[in-house]
Order: sequence, then structure tokens, then C-alpha cells
Amino acid sequence: MSTFTRERDVREAYAAHSGELYGFAVRSLGDAGLAEEAVQETFVRAWRAGERFDPEIGSLRTWLFAILRNVVIDLGRARAARPGVAEGGIEPTVEPFEEALAAWQIEEAMRRIGEDHRRVIFETYYRGRPYAEVAAELGVPEGTVKSRVYYGLRALRVVLEEMGYED
Amino acid sequence: MRTESCREWRTSLGAYALGQLPAEERAGLEAHLEGCAECRAEAESLRSLGKLMARADPARIVEPAPRPPAHLRERVETTIGAERASERRSRRRRRFGFALGGFATAAAAAVLALVVFGGGGATPPEQQVAFTNLPKGVEIDATLQPHAFGTEIRMYVGGIRSGTLCRVFLRGDDGRLYPAGSFRYRWGNDAEAILSSALDLSRTRAIGVHAGNRTFVAPVGPGGATASVPQLNEEEPT
Repeated sequence: MSTFTRERDVREAYAAHSGELYGFAVRSLGDAGLAEEAVQETFVRAWRAGERFDPEIGSLRTWLFAILRNVVIDLGRARAARPGVAEGGIEPTVEPFEEALAAWQIEEAMRRIGEDHRRVIFETYYRGRPYAEVAAELGVPEGTVKSRVYYGLRALRVVLEEMGYED
Repeated sequence: MRTESCREWRTSLGAYALGQLPAEERAGLEAHLEGCAECRAEAESLRSLGKLMARADPARIVEPAPRPPAHLRERVETTIGAERASERRSRRRRRFGFALGGFATAAAAAVLALVVFGGGGATPPEQQVAFTNLPKGVEIDATLQPHAFGTEIRMYVGGIRSGTLCRVFLRGDDGRLYPAGSFRYRWGNDAEAILSSALDLSRTRAIGVHAGNRTFVAPVGPGGATASVPQLNEEEPT
């Protein structure tokens, strides 16, 4: 795909990236309705700027996330300017965009790796539980937990690469 | 260099990178890393992954990922379809100098045929027809070209539901309707539908399209005859 100027391009881009864009928008904006608005606006802006998309410079995904970044900032501003929204129970996000994006990508990648791998990484790393305890709970030798952590990290790295993670 | 001891230490690299390896094991592994560039590189890579992992919110990992609702796709398609339609409209307006609105359009189309193609000689004059008074976001226009067999019609439709069946007809100066084929509107398909009818363009007074359960009609020149064609957009053909 050399440009982003046909309706077909939009449709393909939507099929490939709307899930991620939406998932991240929900995390970043903390509200499903706003996230929908953000994703729609992202595709509309992408469509309008379609002739400027250059795959030589970066991937379509990177480009769409860059547009989403601006949309999220605009929506955040609009929301901050609207009084009384805080009472609605929506906590406005204060996390800077890049931080939120990095965090979300890890969370998403963790969700995508296999259950066995996710389980041991989650229990030992995120919950800080000893290997022996996790091994006993799972009914496997401690060495198995250790090797699952290793192969789980490798799987996580592969998923992040597939997602196009750029540090 | 990959050795027997690499295999032994490899699986500890994960725990090491996450800072979970007990001190005595760590010392042994570090001794191995000193002499093994390959394992060292792997340890480095996993360690930077570990740093990244620290940014995640564990509570969100166990939540299912939110999926975009099905209607969002349709919303995006409809919005962009409408944008595209208005883009086309302004492009055509620029190209042909269309005066939009009322039956000025039909008159303009007739004049246009003379202005644009009058001097050409070899090319028979074609007519641009823009449908007006359409619902918001809907765009229909057509180009009619006379042939020996009748009339060739190239029709563009935008902003309606993808998959809608569109049946096209011409109305002759005898008041009869002449079918001109059908096409299915597909969102994402930028092409104009190419259709034909046996009715001569010189005898054509209106063009219409049944799109789903709605019918849209636009008058077709020549200029003198347009006045007798009512501007009906919801006309039900007999």
C-alpha cells in the first residue's frame, strides 16, 4: 500500500488496527464512548491526510497511533474545558501519552501470550510470589516455572515485535 | 559460543532479567555471562524487556481487552463515505463549473455539453447529471453518453448502506420508463457503475435510481424540455 487515499485502504486499515487503537483509546481516555469518538476521528483525519502517508517513513500503525495521539490530546483538552465531567465518575487521565502507550502495549502483549506463560510471569513478577509457591500451586517442579518465565519473556518479546512496538 | 553450559544457564536468564534469581545462582550465571557474549546479549535484551514490563498495570493485564463495538466500523465507513462524496462534489464542481441546486443543474448540464464538447466534433456530447435534494451524506451523480445502441450511463453512488441494490432507469420523452440495469453499491469500491439503456439520450428526459426502498430522480436535458420534468426525488415510478 503506497498511499492511503482509497476507501479500500481505510477498510483494510480498520480491520487491521481498529482493535488496538480502540483498546488503547479506552485505556487512555478511560471511557468507551470517548474512545469510539477518538477512533472515528483518527480514521477521518487519516483519510483527509491520506496523501501524506508515506510507508517509507513509518508503518501505517505508527502513523495511525500518531494521529490518535493528537486526537486523544484534543479530546482531553475539550473534556478539561467542560465543567462537571469529573462528577460523572470518569477520572481524567494524567498519564503522558508515551507512558500510557508503552504501558498499554505491554498489557496487550501480556494478554496475547499463552496462558501458561502469562500465569507464571504474572504470579512471580507482577504479584511478586516465590517460585516455590507458584510451582506448588501449579503442581509442577520449580525448574518448570523458571523455564516458563524464560520462554514466556521470549514470547512476550515476539508479540511486542509483531505489534510493531517501537521503544 | 554456544556450549553445554549455555543450555544449562539459558532458562535462568528470564528470572535473572526480572531480578528473581537467588544470590548464589546469580553469581554462577554472571560468571557464565562474563565468558559468553551470546547469553550476555540475550540477558541484556530480556532485562530491557523487564524494564518495560514494570510500566504495565497488572490489574489491566487480567481484564479482557476491550473490543471496538460493531457499530463503530459502520460509523467510520459512513463518515468517510460522506467525506468522499463531498470531495467528489467539489472536485466535479471545479472541473465542470457546476451550478448546483434546483433545475439550474440540468440547464447547466445541457450548456456544459455544448461548451465542453461542442468543438470536439468526433466525441459525441456527454451529459453530467447531479442528483440534488438528496438526504444528508448521500451523493449520486451520473454521466450519460449517447451511442448508436442507446445511452451509456456511468453512475456514482456514495453514502448509502453497503450492499444496497441500485436499479437504474431512464424516462423517455414519451413518459415511459426504460430500465437501464442494476448494480450493487459496495462501500470501499471507488468505481462508477457502467450501465446502458436502449433509449436514445436525445429522447431521455430523466434518470432515476431505486436504491433499496428509495427512489431518486434527476432531470436530463436538452434545456428546453427540462421545465416539463418535475423535480421529484421520491417519485414512485409506475
